Amino acid sequence: MSALAGWGDDYFWGAMVILRLFAVSLIIAVIIGLIGAAMKLSGNRLAQTIANAYTVIFRGTPELLVLLIVYFGAAVTLTAIVQSFDANVKFIDIPPFWAGAFAIALIVGAYMTETFRGAFLGVDSGHVEAARALGLSNFQTFVYVRIPQMWRLALPNFGNHMLSLMKDTALISVIGVEEIVFVAEMATTVTNKPFTMYIVVAFIYLCITTVITLAVMLLEKYANKHLVGGK
Amino acid sequence: MSEEKPIIVLENVCKYFGNFKALTDVNLTVQKGARIVVCGPSGSGKSTMIRCINRLEEHDSGRIIVAGNELTDAVKNIDAVRREVGMVFQSFNLFPHLKVVDNLTLALKLVRKVGKPEAREIATRYLERVHIPDQADKYPSQLSGGQQQRVAIARALCMNPEVMLFDEPTSALDPEMISEVLDVMTELAEEGMTMICVTHEMGFARSVADQIAFMDAGEIVEIAPPSEFFQNPRSERTKLFLSQILSH
Amino acid sequence: MIFEFGLIFGSIPKMLTGLGLTLQLLLLSSFIGLVLAVITLLMRISGRWFLVAPAVVYIYIFRGTPILVQIFVIYYGLPQFEFIREGVFWPFLREPFWCCILALSLNAGAYVSEILRGGVLGVDKGAQEAASALGISKTQSFIYITTPIAIRLSLPAYSNDIISMTKATALASTVTLLDMTGVARTIVAQTFAPYEIFISAAIIYMVIAWMVQKGFGMLERRMSRYIKATR
Repeated sequence: MSALAGWGDDYFWGAMVILRLFAVSLIIAVIIGLIGAAMKLSGNRLAQTIANAYTVIFRGTPELLVLLIVYFGAAVTLTAIVQSFDANVKFIDIPPFWAGAFAIALIVGAYMTETFRGAFLGVDSGHVEAARALGLSNFQTFVYVRIPQMWRLALPNFGNHMLSLMKDTALISVIGVEEIVFVAEMATTVTNKPFTMYIVVAFIYLCITTVITLAVMLLEKYANKHLVGGK
Repeated sequence: MSEEKPIIVLENVCKYFGNFKALTDVNLTVQKGARIVVCGPSGSGKSTMIRCINRLEEHDSGRIIVAGNELTDAVKNIDAVRREVGMVFQSFNLFPHLKVVDNLTLALKLVRKVGKPEAREIATRYLERVHIPDQADKYPSQLSGGQQQRVAIARALCMNPEVMLFDEPTSALDPEMISEVLDVMTELAEEGMTMICVTHEMGFARSVADQIAFMDAGEIVEIAPPSEFFQNPRSERTKLFLSQILSH
Repeated sequence: MIFEFGLIFGSIPKMLTGLGLTLQLLLLSSFIGLVLAVITLLMRISGRWFLVAPAVVYIYIFRGTPILVQIFVIYYGLPQFEFIREGVFWPFLREPFWCCILALSLNAGAYVSEILRGGVLGVDKGAQEAASALGISKTQSFIYITTPIAIRLSLPAYSNDIISMTKATALASTVTLLDMTGVARTIVAQTFAPYEIFISAAIIYMVIAWMVQKGFGMLERRMSRYIKATR
C-alpha cells in the first residue's frame, strides 16, 4: 500500500462514488426496464413501437456517445430553456454525477427491458392455466405463480446487466466526475507511476465485480433450490 | 457353437458411480451369433453393462474381453473393440448437422479410410437394408423417429461390426414407429448378427432372443432361454418384474 | 431549442472520415480477438491445470474490469516500465491505435472464448458418444462433430459480441484517436451542437450494428438448415 503514496483515501472515496452511481443507476434501470417490458407486452401498438425504438437505439449506440449526448445535451437544453426566461444566463452546468447515472440507466434499462420481457414470457403458460383452473384470480396468479418464476428466469441475465452497469461507471470519468479513474489521473501527474495508479483502478473494479458475481451465484442457488436434488 | 471362442466375455465386472454400485460381479458370455435380450427395472444397470462393453463407461474391476481384446486403458484395444462393436442408442444420437448419407460415411472415411465414392456406395447399401434409401440426402431432423433410429442402425452396420449393441432402441419412439425398428432388428437377427439388446419389448424378446438376461440392482439375476424365462422364472425378483410388465 | 437537421446532414460526411478508423479497430481487434479466443478455449477445455488456470485467470481479469480502464492501463500505464520503453514492441505500444487494438482484442478474446465454450458445452453429448462408439477419435470428433455444431450454437451470442465491440471502439476517442466518436467530439467542441452531431454519429453506429445483426442472422439461417426443416 506504500506504493499508493497516500492516495489510498482518494481511491476509497472514488470507489464510494462509483458504488453510489451503481446503486442509483441500477434502481433507475430496473424501473425503466419494468416500464419498457410492460410497454412491449401491452398489446398497444404505440407503446410497443416506442419501447422497440428505445431498445434498438440504446443497444446500438456506444455507451460513451449516450453519456455525451445526455450530459452535453441536457446542458444545452437547460441553458436554452433558462435563457428563454432570463437572457443574462450564459450557461447552465449539469451535475455530471446525475447525468452519468441517468445515461447509464438508460443504456442498461434497454437490456433490462428485454430480460424482463423474456422472463415474463418464459413462465410456462401451463402453470398460469393451471392456476386459473384452480380458481386463482388474475392478480393472485401474477403474484403467486408468475413473479416467483420470473425472477428466477431473469436472474442470470440480470446479473450480467449489473456487471455491465458496474463497468460502465468507469465512463463517467470522461465527463469529469471525481471517481477512481479520475483519482488515478491525478495521482499519475504527481507520482509519475501511471501503471501502478491505473492497475489499482482495475483491481478495485475486479473486487466489486467479483462480489456482484458471487452475490448473483448465491441468489441463483437460492432461486433454483427447488430444481436440484431430483434424483 | 460351443467349441468356438466366445465373442464377448464379462468376468466379475463391477462399476461404481461415486458410492453407487451400478454393476456387481456381472458375468456374461456371448457366443458368435447369439441374440441376448437384457431386461430389468430402470436403474438396474442394463445400459451401464452394455456401455461398458464398448468402453463408453469404464468398469472398475473384473475383465471384459471382446473379440479377443481385453478392455483396459490401452487406446489401441479400445479402438479394436469399437471396430467390432456397433451401438444403437435410445435417443438415436445422429449427427444433426450432417445429412443422412454423411452420418453413415463419416466414420467410414475417418476410421476405415474408405474413399468417398466407395463410402457412399456402402452407405446406400445399408440404407436399402433398413428400407430408407430415398432419405439419403435429408437431414436427421427431417425424418420421423422411426426413420432416424433406422439410420442409426445403418450407421452402425456400415462399419461391419461383429456385434451390435442396442440400448433401448425403441423407448424414445412413438408407439406406431416401434414395429418398423423392431422389424429391421429381427431381420438382422435372422441374418445371424450377434446382438445384445436392452429392451422392454417382451414380444420381440420372446420371438427373437435365444437368451434373456434379467438384471436387478446391478446384478444379472437370471439368464435363460425365452420359453423357460417366461414360463418358469426361478427368481422371485424375476417373477415380480414379469408380473409388473405383463399385467397390462 | 432548435434542432438543426441541416447540421446533421452536414456533419455526417465529416463523421464518415472517422468511420475508416472505427472499422479498422473493429475488424482488426475482432480478428485477433477470435484467434485469442480459440486458443483460450482450447486451453480451457484441455483438462490440464497448467493450461486451464492461466485461461481462467485471463478471462476473469478481462471480463471483470472496464475496457476503458484496460485501455488506460495499457496506453498510460505500460510506459512506466523501462523494459517496455526499451523493448521491441515500443513502436507499437506508444501508438494509441495499437494500444486500443491490444485492449479490444484481449477483451474480445476473453468474452468470445466464453461464448465458444458455451457452444461447445451445448453440443449434445449423445452425438459425441455415437462418434466414440463408431471408433472416431476424440480429436476427429472435436473437429467434425463438436466444432460445426458449436459454431452454430455460438453464432447469436457472437453477433451480439461484435456489436458490443463496435460500441467499445468509441472508447478509442478517450486516448486521442479520431475514430467516429473522436471526430464527433471535435466537431461538438467547435460548434457546440451536441444533439445534432452526437446523434448523427449514433445513427451511423446503429447502421453498423444493424448490418452486423442482419449479416449474422443470414449466416445463422444458412447454418441452421439442418434444424427443424420441413418434412
